[in-house]
Amino acid sequence: MANYFNTLPLREKLNQLGVAEFMDRTEFADGVNALKGKKIVVVGCGAQGLNQGLNLRDSGLDVSYTLRKEAIEQKRDSWKNATDNNFKVGTYEELIPNADLVINLTPDKQHTSVIKAIMPLMKQGATLSYSHGFNIVEEGMEIRKDLTVIMVAPKCPGSEVRAEYLRGFGVPTLIAVHPENDPQGKGLVEAKAYCVGTGGHKAGVLRSSFVAEVKSDLMGEQTILCGLLQTGSILSFDKMVEKGIDPGYASKLVQYGVEVITEALKQGGITAMMDRLSNVAKIKAFEVADELKTIMRPLFQKHQDDIMSGEFSRVMMEDWANNDKNLLTWRAETGETAFEKTPAGDVKIGDQEYFDNALFMVAYIKAGVELAFETMVEAGIKPESAYYESLHETPLIANTIARKKLFEMNRVISDTAEYGCYLFDHACKPLLANFMKTVDTDIIGKNYNDGKDGAVDNKTLIAVNDAIRTHPVEKVGSVLRKAMTAMKTIKTV
Amino acid sequence: MPKPLVNITNLNLEYQQNEVLKGLNWQIFYGENWLLGGKSGSGKTSLARAIAGLEKSSGDIEINFDPSSVLPKQVVFVSSWYQFTNLEGDRNFYYQQRYNKHQQNDTLTVYAELLKFAQEEALDIDDVSYYLDLFGFSNSKNTQLIELSSGENKKMQLIKALWLKPQLLIIDQPYTGLDAASRKNLNRVFDDLTSQGLHLILISNDDELPDCINRFAEIKNSRLVIVNNKEGITKEETRIKKVLPYFLQQAPDISAKSMVRMNNVNVKYGDKQVLHNVSWEVKAGEKWLLQGPNGSGKSTLLSLINGDHPQAYTSDIYLFGKKRGSGESIWDIKEHLGIISPELHWYFDSTARVWQSVASGFYDSIGLFHDLTHDKQRKVDEVLEFFDLKEYKYELLNTLPLGKQRLVLLARTIIKNPELLILDEPCQGLDAVQTQHFNDIVDELCTHGKTLIYVGHFETQLPTCIEKRIILKNGRVEAIESLTESIF
Repeated sequence: MANYFNTLPLREKLNQLGVAEFMDRTEFADGVNALKGKKIVVVGCGAQGLNQGLNLRDSGLDVSYTLRKEAIEQKRDSWKNATDNNFKVGTYEELIPNADLVINLTPDKQHTSVIKAIMPLMKQGATLSYSHGFNIVEEGMEIRKDLTVIMVAPKCPGSEVRAEYLRGFGVPTLIAVHPENDPQGKGLVEAKAYCVGTGGHKAGVLRSSFVAEVKSDLMGEQTILCGLLQTGSILSFDKMVEKGIDPGYASKLVQYGVEVITEALKQGGITAMMDRLSNVAKIKAFEVADELKTIMRPLFQKHQDDIMSGEFSRVMMEDWANNDKNLLTWRAETGETAFEKTPAGDVKIGDQEYFDNALFMVAYIKAGVELAFETMVEAGIKPESAYYESLHETPLIANTIARKKLFEMNRVISDTAEYGCYLFDHACKPLLANFMKTVDTDIIGKNYNDGKDGAVDNKTLIAVNDAIRTHPVEKVGSVLRKAMTAMKTIKTV
Repeated sequence: MPKPLVNITNLNLEYQQNEVLKGLNWQIFYGENWLLGGKSGSGKTSLARAIAGLEKSSGDIEINFDPSSVLPKQVVFVSSWYQFTNLEGDRNFYYQQRYNKHQQNDTLTVYAELLKFAQEEALDIDDVSYYLDLFGFSNSKNTQLIELSSGENKKMQLIKALWLKPQLLIIDQPYTGLDAASRKNLNRVFDDLTSQGLHLILISNDDELPDCINRFAEIKNSRLVIVNNKEGITKEETRIKKVLPYFLQQAPDISAKSMVRMNNVNVKYGDKQVLHNVSWEVKAGEKWLLQGPNGSGKSTLLSLINGDHPQAYTSDIYLFGKKRGSGESIWDIKEHLGIISPELHWYFDSTARVWQSVASGFYDSIGLFHDLTHDKQRKVDEVLEFFDLKEYKYELLNTLPLGKQRLVLLARTIIKNPELLILDEPCQGLDAVQTQHFNDIVDELCTHGKTLIYVGHFETQLPTCIEKRIILKNGRVEAIESLTESIF
């Protein structure tokens, strides 16, 4: 199988990368009609599989689950998940031949073997759905020409997909139709109906393409979402301990700080996050972020280039073939870092203190979000897609760190994201070594405002505010966030 | 004379810029057990939390533990709402979660939670079995916290507090959601522990108090007023009857003669069977009472009717004339009914204002995600007026006193004038007068062609319109009967 993207002429590359249309609520007026009475079979019953299936059935659709024979015979968790909720469960041979829509919600890594097993069983003219396009775009899986291939990707963990649906709302969702596989022209209609069935149409839907989804998703997860948060957490913690801050305090400030800081990001973008700082602190954070952006930009560009050329997925798939040797080594190393091993201290840290005492984290997150967004857009990805894969997901990942630190983050995210995260982290730490020598506790560990009178120069403040507010990520963000305002706060603290 | 156990002088306390307590003085001596009563919103909970050191206040609160007592020198406060977190420490639950089965455990089991508590508080785990037996909890050790009903969660809270046996125990609404047998047992334990040196402050408006209660007080005008007995405590004003808004005087559209019909329904979680062969029919216009001890399956039964239970799909259930699982969505089902339950209240959107909470009833959502038409806005205003809630329209729901919150949720339940009302313990935590007030409204609503399913533990506190009763015990139907006048 050849990398699909690399087989395309430049014209078509740009064409597919550039699909990004924020859809209006009225486009979903038909509800679930396009799938009413059709047989929907979900492959896999983990968190996404189970919760999406529960929602689809509660929307009046006919849902059953298919699992590998061994999973059924051994009554594995996926089998229990499905049967405990009174779903019909069967083998591929039993259920796939009658399915009108097959929804593949297995882990990315299994896609090739799963698709090879189910494709010959699928009936003529049926539809196959993915929630991530890696298999199609990077691995180059070719799907039978009579089949329609769509993508419906809720941009939240499975438990949230269920919780928001039952509240009567939904989670932001990305939908796409693969241009090589839409023989009847029904792809978009079915993707929309599926999206309505999960409640996604209420919280903002972005029509994307397989290519745009993969290239932006990989970029986001490697850099700002996982890699940058991992590097930032470790550097911040180590610096504080080096400078004599109590390790328990440092551990807590980082672990919960990323969540508190990014909650402001989620609600009001970088502007809201920076506005939580005093004027003097904001100007300082702006300057620090600028410096960080200059240092890290080449690394962000390298990641984007390797993703576009297919180099990243080639190297990662080599590791898959090598029994994940690198991945497992790096995962073990993360478990051994001082940050991971120091429990959060039993100290009370106020909401505002997480900003005032962690100016460096605020600056670092600002730098990361803006860099990821800018680099993606420069590479031909539309601002809407770039927003989802940078700013939008940062609070969701930060929430996993608040739960159980980096180990938890790396457990929850996909192996692909985890692999990219370590690549970024290993390159970023040495890159920042000299800069970190200049960092002291005034920007990480202690309140930056202490001992300052708070006075700022008017012109500087105006210029800084202006630069923050007019950044393109803020412009597109304010439009997209309006559609998601009813989303509930996920809070650990 | 020994020093008082609690000596409060000149206590001041504010809640959201409002003065709640001002210059309050209170002395509690050894051997005294107090009932703190009075109107909702008078500051009882704030005072209790201040004594336990959970609320910021100015003035003096001095606690002088009895040095000769063997009981721990500790003040323990039990709040009226239970709370637990999932294994990852967050509280982002939804109220139907206990019916959605997932292999990965979301919460600890009852026993694991008690073990953890024993470790934190240096208690002997063997000592807890007495309390588990007392509340009929011994068989629930392996149940996950998320699977407990609201009454069972209350019991968990009480078991922990009693197990600690502190010198001073303050309980806010101890009887909320408890069945009759558990209330009796609880009172017996109160009498027993107080004889061993435990001191009790109960915040309650209940009639059946333990014998050990020997002092009575209420808060009036931000100060403590001591009275001679519980009859001396000020009651809520009785409500002046109002005319129902016009749109609620219209009989709702009736979709079928048989609203609910279920045949031999079973609900199972793994090996644990929660409902056994339940058959039941609710015809249009009938007014039902659903009763049973805590954990008998009442809420599970209702969840089969309101679309919340995933196992309904494979059961023989007809709702509003349609077979369940024949292509209807849960929103199609919810459109026909209005529901209020302790769980729904517990998990309700904490960012919702009163008017939004009411308006969300048009869409059966938890929180409002739509713009309202003028007609719907007018209905919200009319309903708020009818419930005397107009002044709270723009307040956050969860800042209102409990009784008012319940009324808001009842308003949410009826705003679309549904054909079926499901009121699952709607008066939990309300006092006798508030309950009377609430049930009077239910009676008024039900004169206009509605069907009612009402869950309540005490025959003395029911709407008068009720005519039939179904009783559950251990997940089985114990009785289905017509009610004669005699029980009222």
